[in-house]
Amino acid sequence: MSSVSAIDLRPQTRRSRPDLVLIGITAALSALGLLMILSTSGPRLEAAGLGRNSQMVRQAIYVGLGAGVLIVTSLVSDRVWKLAAPYYYAGMIVLLLAVLSPIGALRQGAQRWISLGLFDLQPSEVAKVGVILALALMLAPVEEGRMKWLRLLKVGALVGFPSIFIFLQPDLGTMLVFGFVTFAMLFVAGTTVRQLVMLIVLALIALGIAVELDLLRGYQLERLEGFFNPNEQTLQVNYNQNQSQIAIGSGGMFGQGLFEGSQTNLAFVPAQTTDFIFTAVAEQLGFVGGTLVIGLYAALIWRILMVAAIARDRFGQLAATGIAAMFGFHVFVNIGMAVGLLPVTGLPLPFLSFGGSFYLAMAVSVGIVNSIWMTRSPVPRN
Amino acid sequence: MKPAWRIATVGVALSALLGILVLRMWFLQVTDVEASLDVAASQRISIVSIEPPRGDIFDRDGTEIMAGTVATLRIVVDRKLIPLEREEGLIQNLSALLGIPAAEIRQEFVDRGSGARFPVSDGIGESTAVFVLENIERFPGVAIEPVPFRVYPLGETAAHIIGYIGAPGPDDLGRVGIDPNDRVGRFGVERSYDGLLRGTPGQITYSVNARGEILGVLEETAPRPGGSVVTTIDLDVQRFVEDTLLKAMALAAASGEDQVKRAAAVIIDPRDGSIIAMASVPAFNPIIFSDGQLTEAEWLTLRQEEVFNNYAMQGNYPPGSSFKAIVYALALENQISPIVEEEYRDIVDQTEDPFAFFSDGELLFTNTPPLNDWKDGGHGFVGLSSSLIESVNTYYWSIALAIWQGRDIAWPENLLQDWARSLGFGARTGIDLPFEGTGRVPDREWFQSLQAEGSGLVRSEGGWSGGDLMNIATGQGALVVTPLQMAVAYAALLNGGTVWEPRVVSTVVDSDNNVLFTNPPSVARKITIGADTVAALKRDLNGVVTAQNGTARRAFEGFCSGDVPDSECAPLREVGGKTGTAEIVQATEEGVTAVDTAWFVGGAPLSDPQFIVAVVIEQGGSGGQVAAPAARRILQYLMGEQPDPLRAGDDTER
Repeated sequence: MSSVSAIDLRPQTRRSRPDLVLIGITAALSALGLLMILSTSGPRLEAAGLGRNSQMVRQAIYVGLGAGVLIVTSLVSDRVWKLAAPYYYAGMIVLLLAVLSPIGALRQGAQRWISLGLFDLQPSEVAKVGVILALALMLAPVEEGRMKWLRLLKVGALVGFPSIFIFLQPDLGTMLVFGFVTFAMLFVAGTTVRQLVMLIVLALIALGIAVELDLLRGYQLERLEGFFNPNEQTLQVNYNQNQSQIAIGSGGMFGQGLFEGSQTNLAFVPAQTTDFIFTAVAEQLGFVGGTLVIGLYAALIWRILMVAAIARDRFGQLAATGIAAMFGFHVFVNIGMAVGLLPVTGLPLPFLSFGGSFYLAMAVSVGIVNSIWMTRSPVPRN
Repeated sequence: MKPAWRIATVGVALSALLGILVLRMWFLQVTDVEASLDVAASQRISIVSIEPPRGDIFDRDGTEIMAGTVATLRIVVDRKLIPLEREEGLIQNLSALLGIPAAEIRQEFVDRGSGARFPVSDGIGESTAVFVLENIERFPGVAIEPVPFRVYPLGETAAHIIGYIGAPGPDDLGRVGIDPNDRVGRFGVERSYDGLLRGTPGQITYSVNARGEILGVLEETAPRPGGSVVTTIDLDVQRFVEDTLLKAMALAAASGEDQVKRAAAVIIDPRDGSIIAMASVPAFNPIIFSDGQLTEAEWLTLRQEEVFNNYAMQGNYPPGSSFKAIVYALALENQISPIVEEEYRDIVDQTEDPFAFFSDGELLFTNTPPLNDWKDGGHGFVGLSSSLIESVNTYYWSIALAIWQGRDIAWPENLLQDWARSLGFGARTGIDLPFEGTGRVPDREWFQSLQAEGSGLVRSEGGWSGGDLMNIATGQGALVVTPLQMAVAYAALLNGGTVWEPRVVSTVVDSDNNVLFTNPPSVARKITIGADTVAALKRDLNGVVTAQNGTARRAFEGFCSGDVPDSECAPLREVGGKTGTAEIVQATEEGVTAVDTAWFVGGAPLSDPQFIVAVVIEQGGSGGQVAAPAARRILQYLMGEQPDPLRAGDDTER
């Protein structure tokens, strides 16, 4: 009797509570981000006669908005995400076109923003999520080892079309994210190794042609040149990276202490609230603190991949994989740049870097993963 | 699930990437941490140098300042500390404060470039400085800085000795510790003692941020002021000499020598080689190199008048008859008798004086035109004494002929030149001032090398001849000397053979009067001169100014103050000297004209010489006419007599 009554056969509308581990890590990283932004921007803002907290407060507003976005996206079922994916993709294309039109704002030689008064929308960040959802939708029907060449072509078109606009902005970093994410999703979708090798070869050929045809901007080549000549001090890109490495090195094992980073606080390191925020972390909190942050990212990625593994359908599985790959690539490229392993590309660090569009895009991503988690298939125990 | 291994693979790949990051951080922060720490520390400091006050220059008593430093204030702008949007406002405020057009200041901003630190105004008043400091919020990035400013209270007096300072030249930049923004000694004592005068700069080490904003002072080393130079110059004498030279030039101009250009004089102590006074007029005021007030036109005028050279030691002049005293001493030391013309040999032999000679006013040789003495009809019977007193050219030509005939038999060919060189001619005397002239003592070797070069400065035909030596004996031809060399040589002849390396600086002391450096009297060399020779020379140099036929007798008339007649004037028996008139043939548009440079070189008191005076009036006419009167006035002053107004002496020995 009792054994029969223990089996509940009623359909379960809400199978799970939110993934508190995922949200906990996100919250921890966001809080650290606010602290580091205050630490690096505070002294300079104070010196300029502005409020010490002003930049941090702006980021805090983004974090608040992000929390709301996260909750809303979590409550949206993964089925709805699946249905909404084509519309999201279409809307993203419209935004990408808009940014290249006179509506777009030109800053630092690139046209990447749409000014919305309160904050600037950066459609390429929105596009990262759009591409992941669209890819997940397209790859969901693929069976293990049965990827058709036609579908591969379609995938190429799906990713290639927005890439054109992003290339025109230009935003090389986002294109690289597309490439990496696509590769990871194709792999999980069951693409054969031969096809993947073929894709890599094609990508290399395309890069070669781009360099041959002078399609890359001067600064993009300069960054590569700087990377291959790390001791050439006259290059500005090297200055940034060398300063970053000096700052990180001076952090030592335990760091100089929060708010004590002489190199970052004294503004030797440029763009330290955005691209080089990890430099401040490593200088002030040392090897221990930096490793802890990387560990948090590893846990985040692990958690998302876990969600992918137990998602109830292929769409959820692929979307979560894409999001994990996106986080992983951002973290690797951004920190790799700060420690001097990789050339300078303007990829921000998820949840830590200052910036509204990027933070919201990352919040949406976590929300989608959470939504997939909450509607997962029951995990068989024993 | 089938694709579980694929998801796991993605996880492993991403973990590997993050693992690489951790390894890299281990390398940067733990293994290689020392290097990073060093670089980071060096970036956080900024070192600013503080200019030390330059040492003073004093007269021989150490009482009167010849060059000094006063502290003035200046406004310095540091563009690193000015927010860009506030620059225009700052320029307007500075313009209003300093009365400088805004456009000028703006141009300065542009010229200096962004991030530069530069002065916008030197020598601001204290009230201006206080105003800036009290209203500093209106002057962002502005600092008030003390800056040493060089002053020369004497004006033109002793300007050539003191010298001046200025921006370093290429030669200065090679020295240790000289910065292109420094001011360094460029002339005179300012230059030759620059290293001791300039002191050691101090240093402030600031901690700064990346934009150079100063956060605090880490370390401060005070600058060490430069040492003060005590010269050997007697400023009373110096002023008197300069005044006399200017009057002598006026006198020469009034006597018809309207081409008179400048005058120079040296007074040296024959007992230790110290320069008591040294003047070159017209002079300049060294302040023009410090205050920046000189206009271009004024500068060009001064350049044209060549006032910046110290002709007393840089001017190369033919010495004329003033060189005869050198030949006189040589003849006496080596018992060289003059060659007497055939027709007078008998009557000269009757005198039984080996130095006897008969002058009929011209010297005849078989294959040259007759050489004429300056005095028509000649001087009659001439001995060694009267040859100097009356400045008999034919006599010294004959001495030169005697040297020429005895060359390589009784003595080397360069007997006269070697003697002149041993007295300091033809080379720098080694005075502690820059840019000294060397003069020139010509000989066969010199002549041949110039002839071989085809320089056109010497005859292209024929060789070095006795005629060339005859020219040297009368201070003409290619022989040139500086007034300083002349004074050093006369000092050696009168002090018994000590050739001094003259000095203008005796000691350098610090602010507590501790001696940093001493420049003791220095003997260049000792030469052998018999006491008889010195006594004879003294007697005959006195004869020049007292004897009936003395070329400077008229100039020295009434040497004693009041109505004391010359026969009873004891100080007159203590002075002596030699006139000289150097002919310089000039080719001008109107044809070839001869202009004369007037010399007088003498000493006093003859019984125990303390002063050697050399006076040159360039293109001033005859030595007896203008140079001797100027020297008389100076010697009167030195001997404590009442100096007379300048009046012309005899027009002698052209």
